[in-house]
Amino acid sequence: MKLTLDIIKKMLGVILATREDEIDCDECYDRIESFVEIKLSGKSAEEAMPLVKDHLKRCQECRQEYEALLEALQTIKKG
Amino acid sequence: MYRGPACLFLYGSKRIIICNMLNWFKNKKEEAPEPPYSNEQWVQLLSKPTNDRAVEELRRLLVLGLKPALYKYVDRELEQFVEDVAQDGLIKILDNIATFRGESQFMTWAMKIAVREGLTELRRKRWQNISIENLKGGPEDEQGKEIFSDTFASGDVSPELATAQKMAVEKIEKMIDELLTERQSKAMRAILIHNIPISIVAEQMGTNRNNMYKLLYDARKKLKNELEVQGIDPEKLLNELSES
Repeated sequence: MKLTLDIIKKMLGVILATREDEIDCDECYDRIESFVEIKLSGKSAEEAMPLVKDHLKRCQECRQEYEALLEALQTIKKG
Repeated sequence: MYRGPACLFLYGSKRIIICNMLNWFKNKKEEAPEPPYSNEQWVQLLSKPTNDRAVEELRRLLVLGLKPALYKYVDRELEQFVEDVAQDGLIKILDNIATFRGESQFMTWAMKIAVREGLTELRRKRWQNISIENLKGGPEDEQGKEIFSDTFASGDVSPELATAQKMAVEKIEKMIDELLTERQSKAMRAILIHNIPISIVAEQMGTNRNNMYKLLYDARKKLKNELEVQGIDPEKLLNELSES
């Protein structure tokens, strides 16, 4: 595989962020309701659920879903 | 069970079927309490036979929330798209109502399902004409090779640093070629080089998003372990490659 310097850097970043205890997309999906509700209550969801935070940092699709969910629920809350 | 006059003159299975139908219509039309609903009320009202008023309230809330959540991803006909997603989400929520465990607010759970429905649909539309088998413009074709060569001949870095960077890059390329399976390599290329969403790559490779995540996790772990075996600190290497 021939790669550019930028892609190698991106790949190294991804390798560097690899953890033994990371959760997958299904586990993140199962826990995201708690994460988003902690966030909505004004507390630190990142501190309470570091593995979810870590997955969201790494997985663009789960992150998009989380951000959209948060936005949707904030809107409903406002009424 | 409903025991109204219509059932009195019927016997056997016919009577059971008709009584059930009457019961269904009766419950369906029964007045639901004023929203907002508790988790228990939602589950009760949305379980079969579903209550029309509760279904309509859920649809209204989904539309209300989905609009601001999806607008930045939708370039036209947002209203119609959101209505469609809310409808599809609603069907999925009703189909899965028995799986709601009550560990969160009902609307958090329901909206999560609808949001995934909407974003999945948007990703499908965005990437529907792209096949990971025919990816062009990546670093593996001729154009890519030029970009690759240019990176180290641009004059932005000293010749010594350029040589060191080139050696490091070649080492990693070799690791990828030797350690990763064909599937891992193919998926990594599509996701990291071409920025194709993991779910789209998964679909085209005949698997699901979670299995694809695991496949990539194994690939990342293999590369991380190999770097360790070779005594290479990825953080240090990343810093060195970032120098210019």
